[in-house]
Amino acid sequence: MGEKSWGMVIDVDKCTGCQACVVACQSENNIPINEEEHFNQRRAIEWIRVERYWEGEFPDVKARFIPILCQHCGEAPCEPVCPVFATYHNDQGLNVQVYNRCVGTRFCANNCPYHVRFFNFWEPEWPETLTNQLNPDVTVRSRGIMEKCTFCVQRIRRTERESERDGVDLDDGDRALSPACVNACPTSALVFGDFADPESKVSRLKEQEEKEDGRAYRLLENYGTEPSVVYLKKVEEGAKSASHG
Amino acid sequence: MDSHAVGHVGSGIQDTPRGVVRDLLERHDRTTGLYWRAVAAFGLLTVLGIVGFVMRVLDGVDDRSLWGYYAATFAFILTTAQAAPMVAIAPRLAKAHWRRPISRAAEMWSITGIVGLLIFIPMLWILPSLEDGRRTLWFFDPTDPDFAGVPVSSPHLWATAAILGLVALGIALLWVSSLPDFAAMRDNLTGWRQRWASRLALGWRGTSGQWNMLYHRLGILGALYFMMLVFVHFLISVDFLMALVPGWIDALYPATHAANALQAAAATMLLTMFFLRQFGGYKDYIGLDQFWGLGKLMFALSLLWFWFWFSSFIVLWYGKRPNEQAALELLMVGPYLPIFFVTFITVFVVPLFTMIWNPLRKSIWGPTIIAASVLIGTFFDRIRLYVAAYSVPGIGEPLIDKHELELEAVEKMNAVLPGLPDVFIIVGGISAVILAYLIASRIIPLVNIWEQRELLLYKVHKPFHKTEVLVLGKKD
Amino acid sequence: MQEHVQFTQKEVNRDLLYGVTNTIRWWPGLTIFLLVVFLAGAGAFGYMLNKGVGVTGLNRPVMWGFFMTNFVFWIGISHAGIMISAILRLTQAEWRRPITRAAEVLTVFSLTAALMAAPLVHVGRPWRAALWVFPYDFARGVWPNIRSPFIWDPSAVMTYLTASSLFVFVALLPDLAVIRDRSTGIAQKVYGLLCLGWRGTPRQWKLQAIAGILLSALVLPVFVSVHSIVSWDFAVNIGVEGWHSTIFAPYFIIGAIHSGVSAVAMIMALMVWLWKLDKYIRPDHFDAIGRLLIIVATTWFFFFFLEWVFALYTLEAPEIALRELQVFQHPYVWLFLIFLLTAYFIPVPVWLFKNARRKVWVMFWTTVLVNVGMWLERFLIIIPGLARKTPFTFDWGTYHPSLIEILMVAGTFAWVALGMLLFSRVFPLVPLFDIKEGMVVRDEVKIGRATVPATVRE
Repeated sequence: MGEKSWGMVIDVDKCTGCQACVVACQSENNIPINEEEHFNQRRAIEWIRVERYWEGEFPDVKARFIPILCQHCGEAPCEPVCPVFATYHNDQGLNVQVYNRCVGTRFCANNCPYHVRFFNFWEPEWPETLTNQLNPDVTVRSRGIMEKCTFCVQRIRRTERESERDGVDLDDGDRALSPACVNACPTSALVFGDFADPESKVSRLKEQEEKEDGRAYRLLENYGTEPSVVYLKKVEEGAKSASHG
Repeated sequence: MDSHAVGHVGSGIQDTPRGVVRDLLERHDRTTGLYWRAVAAFGLLTVLGIVGFVMRVLDGVDDRSLWGYYAATFAFILTTAQAAPMVAIAPRLAKAHWRRPISRAAEMWSITGIVGLLIFIPMLWILPSLEDGRRTLWFFDPTDPDFAGVPVSSPHLWATAAILGLVALGIALLWVSSLPDFAAMRDNLTGWRQRWASRLALGWRGTSGQWNMLYHRLGILGALYFMMLVFVHFLISVDFLMALVPGWIDALYPATHAANALQAAAATMLLTMFFLRQFGGYKDYIGLDQFWGLGKLMFALSLLWFWFWFSSFIVLWYGKRPNEQAALELLMVGPYLPIFFVTFITVFVVPLFTMIWNPLRKSIWGPTIIAASVLIGTFFDRIRLYVAAYSVPGIGEPLIDKHELELEAVEKMNAVLPGLPDVFIIVGGISAVILAYLIASRIIPLVNIWEQRELLLYKVHKPFHKTEVLVLGKKD
Repeated sequence: MQEHVQFTQKEVNRDLLYGVTNTIRWWPGLTIFLLVVFLAGAGAFGYMLNKGVGVTGLNRPVMWGFFMTNFVFWIGISHAGIMISAILRLTQAEWRRPITRAAEVLTVFSLTAALMAAPLVHVGRPWRAALWVFPYDFARGVWPNIRSPFIWDPSAVMTYLTASSLFVFVALLPDLAVIRDRSTGIAQKVYGLLCLGWRGTPRQWKLQAIAGILLSALVLPVFVSVHSIVSWDFAVNIGVEGWHSTIFAPYFIIGAIHSGVSAVAMIMALMVWLWKLDKYIRPDHFDAIGRLLIIVATTWFFFFFLEWVFALYTLEAPEIALRELQVFQHPYVWLFLIFLLTAYFIPVPVWLFKNARRKVWVMFWTTVLVNVGMWLERFLIIIPGLARKTPFTFDWGTYHPSLIEILMVAGTFAWVALGMLLFSRVFPLVPLFDIKEGMVVRDEVKIGRATVPATVRE
């Protein structure tokens, strides 16, 4: 396998805020069910969430959506502060969490400017009827440890194994490779791929949008975290007419 | 340390109050040929400095990078000469007896503040006004129409007022502490010194009311001088230094700037003491105790230097934020890395590894050499920071929205080297300060006569079991 | 400054060993009360172990709350002992003598309280906390991450705990021998073992003095490093805008000294009231500590001021939002007001008056106020900082402590008080030898009609 640098391009313009990605992630990654009380306690676990901001005053009000997940930063602030190496950077550009090592200091959560690290305040529980739907490829986390988006590393690993077994190259557009959120997105706002491969879909999108007049940006760039997730700006409705009005 | 603080004095004459007064006045009245030679030499160098300044002025004030060394000279004088009175103030407040022979020599440095003030005035034209969009302590965006009425030159105004206040306070402190000595000169000397002293003594007669007032005023003026010193360092280090580097946000730096000044003050005084001892004829008064007491203080402040530097460094370095990395690159690891190394070694490493060694600490030459090292280091430190900050390009363009210094831009920068005018300005500025000190030393005695006299009251030799011990009083 | 009072050695022994040789009337009652409070805290911890960290009020993004506040607070208090003992010993301040022991013991117990507050109850899986504090998993090649401030932290705290325990022990040796000579049976054997064969020979005295001075000098860098490192737990974070400030290390240190020295003044008042030690702890001592506190408090306030100035100087949205939350929004506005008043604006003006400084009750209540204020200071740094972490308003949060957390915090207070009480039942709270030494070196000098206190110098 060659060098990999997994990443994502998120087109905010395409996001409708439907939350399909949230649900897909929830079921793929054995995330405990967030009930009302979890939200009230501000302890809901959503590896990907759709943040909603209101812009303007009623009736000229607009809803803005932005899906936020772990940015798998190149210079991840969460990594150096963990005393037990429970989180570290792997050679494929992924920021991975080793659940067994974690003691739950929550230092990483504090140092993450994107708020994408989640702490298991309670022992996760599922209704009796749902225990069989748990994904066997994903660890069920116990209470007292941190967890976060893995870019569905289990899917990456499985696809890698299978392509190696079958002797075929990894296919960028392979749905088995893409994380659950990407597959679930009805408007294809989320695109997953390998930034190390200049021919991949994400690389081409990034290159195209980083040109002048492009829409590419990264979240909180002034923090110097070098995220692996590239966002594409919303195209303003009537942006052209605004110039003369 | 106090045990030695009082100890040995050369001949027997200094053991009686009258003897102390007579002896010190005699020493004050004597002016040697060496003195006149020194005045001539420093006077010449001062003229050279003025020449350098004129050369700089002819270049104009638009290119700020030309004025970096000028600003560094000002900062160095602020850090050393104007901080030196703290060596009198702090031990006096703590009632340490070892200060007595050197407190006047320390306070005398406050008169050189006038030179600092003169050097500061042109800097008001060199600095960009707030309209250019630099950061400032005054927390507002001048491009915002809401703030249109705010006087944009406020940093200039405040800094000038603060420096004026500092100089005034220093001279007031020097005068108040000299009153009894002027009275002594009035009563014991003849000639122009007597005439001047009787005017300057302001009718000092040594009543208990006057003494109470003196102690009270010395305490208040000392505390005010310290606060004003910290305030001046705060204003200068933010609005005249940090604000010029867009990404440099270091909340500790004003305190570091002031702490560096305290360290440099101790070093300045150690050197002053050495010269007074060797060439000024005060060998009988300034002894090992003073060097020991002040040397330890300087050592402690060297450790403080490291702690403050490291506290800033680790926070800026650990986070890897682009703006902070750029600031570090500019000030520490980039073009000015060699100067930073020199500073680090002379200001911290040298004192650390020498002053822990007892034989060296308990000597005259040991602390003196290390003080010289610290002063050199402080000088380079000021050069590193001010020259680097003043050489940041593009500050004239609005930066309020960016607040960013590009790391790549810094990496391409070269260190600004001093030109001939810069050398003249540095040498001349420092010489002017020393010249002012030399002149003042002919008007005011270099060793505090009344404090030295007072000491005799506090020490008593008493029998203790089979031996005799020194009992040292310490007033509340 | 010191009144010239002389006691006989016998008097000193009798007065200062009273608490060791006799059970004072209030002692059992107070001890049992504190034990109950401590056990309540321990019970709350047990409950949390059973249920999970969910029983606290922590949430996202306020991941650190009462426990961290309490940890910083106790580390702060622990700076008292070394401040009083080491610095005042090195500067030969005479007034330190009767209060060094209590201050040092306070250091030891508050450090253990801090260790309870942070690594133990703070983490998600406390049963693995030991594995983090003490390196583990060598066999699998997993080492602690020395880049993490949470590794520097236990290292510094443990070093400090070791050093300050040694400090207490070295200063205790001569006193232990005194107790050994006055006890019988098992107690005599135990004290005899503890005092390491102290016989008071000149050589032993010399070694003890050297050990004391060496420990004083060597412990100072540790003392500075501990709270600096605690501050870096916060300051090196880039994720929390309000914490990312270079001033944190000196600001925390001076704040720690402020609260620590205040705690010592508090304990001095308690020693006067409970142990009736007013013969040894005189108004002069309160006067001296009051003056020290004015300087410390004002320096602290200067750093507080700098911290604020530079928070606004950055002009960054989360910083501004954080300050707005701290100063204008309910309930933080009330906490902030209380903090400012109690930490500086009430005590310092009071201390400026000499008459006030010399009154035990004034010093007690003002220093209690300081510690209330300093606890709030840490709270106001940690919680609003997290609640307004970054520009994403979507994730701004809030925090309310749960009963469980309050119980555990109360438990640490009870633990420290309990420790001090138990210590005082077995060891003298005022160093006998230091008092006796003070008697020897103290003298007076007559200047005209005035008498000035003096000390004998070698």
